[in-house]
Amino acid sequence: MSQHVLETDGQVCPFPLVEAGAAIARLAPGDELVINFDCTQATDALPRWAAEQGYPVTNFERAGNAQWTITVRKT
Amino acid sequence: MLLTGLALGIALGFTMQRGRFCVTGAFRDLWITGNTRWLTAFLIVVAVQSVGVFAMDAAGMITLAPRDFAWLATIIGAFVFGFAIVLAGGCATGTYYRAGEGLVGSWFALIFYALFAAMSKTGVFAPAVDGLRAVTVHASTIHGLLGLSPWILVAVLVTGVGLLARHHLARRPALPVAALPARKSGLAHLLFEKRWGAFSTALVIAVLAILAWPLSWATGRESGLGITGPSSALVNYLVGGDPQLIDWGVYLVVGILTGSFIAATGSGEFRVRLPDAVTTVRSIGGGALMGVGASLAGGCTIGNAMVDTATFGLQGWVSLVFMIIGTGAATRLFVTGPAKATAASLTPVRAGR
Repeated sequence: MSQHVLETDGQVCPFPLVEAGAAIARLAPGDELVINFDCTQATDALPRWAAEQGYPVTNFERAGNAQWTITVRKT
Repeated sequence: MLLTGLALGIALGFTMQRGRFCVTGAFRDLWITGNTRWLTAFLIVVAVQSVGVFAMDAAGMITLAPRDFAWLATIIGAFVFGFAIVLAGGCATGTYYRAGEGLVGSWFALIFYALFAAMSKTGVFAPAVDGLRAVTVHASTIHGLLGLSPWILVAVLVTGVGLLARHHLARRPALPVAALPARKSGLAHLLFEKRWGAFSTALVIAVLAILAWPLSWATGRESGLGITGPSSALVNYLVGGDPQLIDWGVYLVVGILTGSFIAATGSGEFRVRLPDAVTTVRSIGGGALMGVGASLAGGCTIGNAMVDTATFGLQGWVSLVFMIIGTGAATRLFVTGPAKATAASLTPVRAGR
């Protein structure tokens, strides 16, 4: 089980979500994907995507002004 | 009375920023994931507004006047606009409110959108735009064409959108949707932190869109929410200095920018964010094409697709369809296709937690 970090700061939506989908496809079940992002709309899109895909969110917090990080576990 | 435009704009910008209401996203989702949640929210605004608009028309508060349908310019313009909003990363209102969040890419998109709208409406492109918009058919609305009462269409739309909304509300994701930890409480939490939800945001926007009609009407500007005309007027005022150009709509768009800035600052979501080179070029190109497209079509995603649709105008519904097609073409090219801008880096970290 390992953790991978996806840096999407500076990318506007829908790219954080598109990149997250592509990145998680490359992980093994049980691996965690940390997605760092600064697109405001992704605070809605990313947790909803994780919930709909059935990936548990193990961390979701503000990293600073207009900066967030979310960690999802591939199942 | 013009100040009601500023107040309404501030409320609208605030709501769109907090609710993450993005028409570009609503159209784009159809082509990326097939998800209709945000499109449903968008249609809730149209449906609720249509009830209000025809009630106000019946009560004599406003008068919906027919006008010939400039079909050719609407089809071309709507396709171009739909294509452009994917490049710019937001439609006209989306660009205004993201500019208020500090996204420099949206500043570029906004400047070029307003400039090219002015060039298309009153400047160097105006003869070509006017020429295309002179190609018309003598028809104005769907109910006029069908010879029906508008209330039948209102009933059909409200029922259809209600069923769509019920479908989405009944559909639960596999897991609960994670929320950010709360750091505020009470009203501050509700206004500046809580997730608003797509449909409640849509209802607030619908109320504001209805209010826009009589408030704008009272100042002599006989229409509902609109973005492109006022953006063009703002540019003409700024370079020509004629204060006569400042109408309710100009206050509205300035308000949207202000309201979004207030919302973003209050929730710790304002930060000056620089785009990379590819995003910068796309924002500029997208903004310019948005200005031309919206001027050809006679409106943007708001004026045409969200407001004229509520009056069952042919221009509005034909625009909506061709904007979605344009969005699909650009999504295939720039988001899911080979030309997608990928700046993300995936780094493995050694130990799992």
